[in-house]
Amino acid sequence: MLQTTTTLGPAPTVRLSGEVDLDSADVLRAAVAEAARGARNVTIDFADVKFIDSSGTGVFVRLCLDLRSQGVAVSARDLPPQVRGVFDMLRVRELVGDEVFASA
Amino acid sequence: MAAVTAAHGSAATPGERQIATLQVCRYMVSTAALHDLIGPCDFGVSSEDLARHAVEALRSRKFMAYTVVLAGRVHADQLCFVPQDGWCDILGISTNGWRRHHGDHRRGLNEILSDLAAAVACARLRILSATEMAAERDRGVPLAAAQLGAAADLARARATIEAALQEGGLDATARARYILCISEAASNMLLHGGGGGTLCLRRLDDRLRTVVVDHGPGLQFTNWIEPPRGEWRASMGYGLKMIFDNLDAVGLHTGESGTTLLLDHMNMRGR
Repeated sequence: MLQTTTTLGPAPTVRLSGEVDLDSADVLRAAVAEAARGARNVTIDFADVKFIDSSGTGVFVRLCLDLRSQGVAVSARDLPPQVRGVFDMLRVRELVGDEVFASA
Repeated sequence: MAAVTAAHGSAATPGERQIATLQVCRYMVSTAALHDLIGPCDFGVSSEDLARHAVEALRSRKFMAYTVVLAGRVHADQLCFVPQDGWCDILGISTNGWRRHHGDHRRGLNEILSDLAAAVACARLRILSATEMAAERDRGVPLAAAQLGAAADLARARATIEAALQEGGLDATARARYILCISEAASNMLLHGGGGGTLCLRRLDDRLRTVVVDHGPGLQFTNWIEPPRGEWRASMGYGLKMIFDNLDAVGLHTGESGTTLLLDHMNMRGR
């Protein structure tokens, strides 16, 4: 189960809590897409993510690339070891660019 | 048993242009005969030539790979001969020229197929016949089981397996890695294996084993080539690679009546 809490403003932050998998990846997508509406930057806070898999990672990558093409920069923050490990396995930095993790 | 195929746009149907195939057969030293494991196999090479190359791979104890070009057309991107103990696995990989479009971040189809060949080559993956899998899948003592019919079942299945692993004394790091692989296999089952199936964690003398069973159409690449319209959760194509990179041994049988995976974590100090 994945819960999201969005702090609105000119640079919104979406805080994730729980597990990001095939089931909940849509929750991530919808929350970030909504927060990014009208914004130039959006931050995703992973601090309370207990588990992520390749499906969740795939949605994160696609969000980064799609939002960038719409002029919105995505930042990822506070990656726990499990998330960092999966992102490393899937070479996410190469796919989305180091700038996404500048404040990680 | 049907060949592993995928056609552009939707599920493979007879008559459509094949986009990707993985075919596997085995040359047995004891009988000097070839047996289809994922087939029927058509590598564009005669049985005599296949046997000759298999014998050469076994003699030299080297992994050998070729590209098969017939009348100017690539028939098999890779024809791999993987010498084993008493037999030689022969994998034929054909992408039929399919390539990713610009901006597609998923793992390339030829890379996915090569992951499979590489995993066989380094003895991480065993392709099993139906008979071999039937003998393997019920070995050991069952510790936990979960049935999955939807993605919403994934978290519960992970928790069930995790509790059993914790009770069994597996340390947190190994547990996390093993659970990730099991979850990837379960997600693949939901996406590509007919939408559901079962997981069963078993204890064998020298390993923990999770048996992942679905009754889908067999290992295919259709969803990878053309994910359903509007589908955000389409496979990244990395699930199998993550499994091969993180587990000690994997067994696979696939065919028209479904796919069975054996995910093994060996009992080794420090793992």
